[in-house]
Amino acid sequence: MAEDLKVDLELDLKGLLCPLPMVRVSQNITKVPVGGIIRAVATDLGSLADIPSWARTTGNEVVKTERVDKEIIFYVKRLK
Amino acid sequence: MDEKAQKTIAGVLDKRMNRQLLYYLDICTRCSICKDACHQYVTTGDVLYLPAYRAEIIRRVYKKYFTRSGKFYPALSEGSEVDEKLLDELYKTTYACTGCRRCMYYCPFSIDTTWFMAVAKAMLITAGRGSQILAELAGAAVIKGESIDLFKDIIIEMLKDTEKELQERVGNPKANIPIDKKGADLLYVALAGTHTILPAAVIFHQAKANWTLSMFEAANYGYFLGDVKQAVAIAKRIIDEARSLEVKEIVITECGHAYRVMQFLYEAWAKEKLPFKIRGIVELMAEYIKQGKINLTQDKIKEPLTYHDPCQVGRNAGFYEEPRYIINQVAADFREMTPNREKNWCCGGGGGLVAQPDLDDFRIKTGEIKVEQIKKTGARIVVSPCENCRLQLDSLNEKYNMGIQITSIMDLVANAITI
Ligand code: SF4
Ligand code: SF4
Repeated sequence: MAEDLKVDLELDLKGLLCPLPMVRVSQNITKVPVGGIIRAVATDLGSLADIPSWARTTGNEVVKTERVDKEIIFYVKRLK
Repeated sequence: MDEKAQKTIAGVLDKRMNRQLLYYLDICTRCSICKDACHQYVTTGDVLYLPAYRAEIIRRVYKKYFTRSGKFYPALSEGSEVDEKLLDELYKTTYACTGCRRCMYYCPFSIDTTWFMAVAKAMLITAGRGSQILAELAGAAVIKGESIDLFKDIIIEMLKDTEKELQERVGNPKANIPIDKKGADLLYVALAGTHTILPAAVIFHQAKANWTLSMFEAANYGYFLGDVKQAVAIAKRIIDEARSLEVKEIVITECGHAYRVMQFLYEAWAKEKLPFKIRGIVELMAEYIKQGKINLTQDKIKEPLTYHDPCQVGRNAGFYEEPRYIINQVAADFREMTPNREKNWCCGGGGGLVAQPDLDDFRIKTGEIKVEQIKKTGARIVVSPCENCRLQLDSLNEKYNMGIQITSIMDLVANAITI
């Protein structure tokens, strides 16, 4: 559950269009420690496929995705 | 850096060498006409961004490694060794170039700086110094292509809300957004997200088009990265989809580089002839209007409106009249920027710059000329059929407090359609 996840950094990506949600997550991933989690809130539906694909290509992990109304909330774990 | 690594990196230049590039290397007279053509040099005054200097870095490598004087009399050859300093300079100048080709338009010998930039990117990638963020974005697109079954449900889910909006917009509960439709006439390739799907769906619905939506986004970050293999892999996802659905044509959304990759570059890169037509949606919309397949309201937009020719759509692909034809159907007060068409200034956001955060300040600074051009028209609305341009114009609007609205041609048409 999301409540169990300790979030190290919050990112507000609302209103940003592709590729900016991916770019912002990439830019910030090294700001959390290895094992740390970014909670990123986006509204661009394209990010539903883009951010998990980005995570796989960079060797990180989307550990949870939630949808609350128009918001998509990603919990991205830094793995390396 | 050891000699072997230096030779491997310089060897990329040798592999890419052809008559055209040799001609470019030889013919430049250092007349400097290109300095006034490049928005980046004009706004920064930094020699690193002078088109002829960008080429000069490559020329020096050529002189050092591939001429007799470079090999035997290095002190006299004006050649440069491939070292970290040269790669730093190459990185800065290369990934900053928007590929707008305004320099080529004004050069008396039509020297195409983007050819040098393509070689430079290949050298940087070989050196392990390609743009990291562009590599990540290209990698993500390839992964999405390889695991599309994993993402299919997500895409279908995403389309449900958009389909509802479509039904409301066109007043038809049966209106839909088809995917995977075998035998459709056209495969429409949108951008990630839904903002380029909904207006297109409204237009296709009204035109009674037999269409299907691609699972993949049009953007190609492999192209911006300068990695031809990745660029082909990204484009091939769409080509394979079009083949399996047996469509007659691929229609690319308003995205300049995506259109160019599919229309002008893919066949040469992949060494295959495509069995279907490639078109941009602007061309198709103009056709629909001319053929009366869609009808537009006579109540035209009254606010002053201007058009930004995206470099990849205008100067680099030759589409000038179709967008203007459409705009004149929907806007009462269309004002041209000066200069326009092939002489238009780059907005500063192309070439993948909008996706490179380390260039954010640079692209805002180098967008100054575009800001002035827009201001001089007095327009309140700026239309441009390229996502990169629109993202850049959005940034300029915010940073320079312009108070304008930025939109696509598709949105103008979808809003003007009489249902
Ligand atoms: S292609 Fe455009 S950005 Fe690049 S050097 Fe030429 S004018 Fe400048
Ligand atoms: S305009 Fe052409 S010939 Fe003149 S300096 Fe620039 S690249 Fe060289």
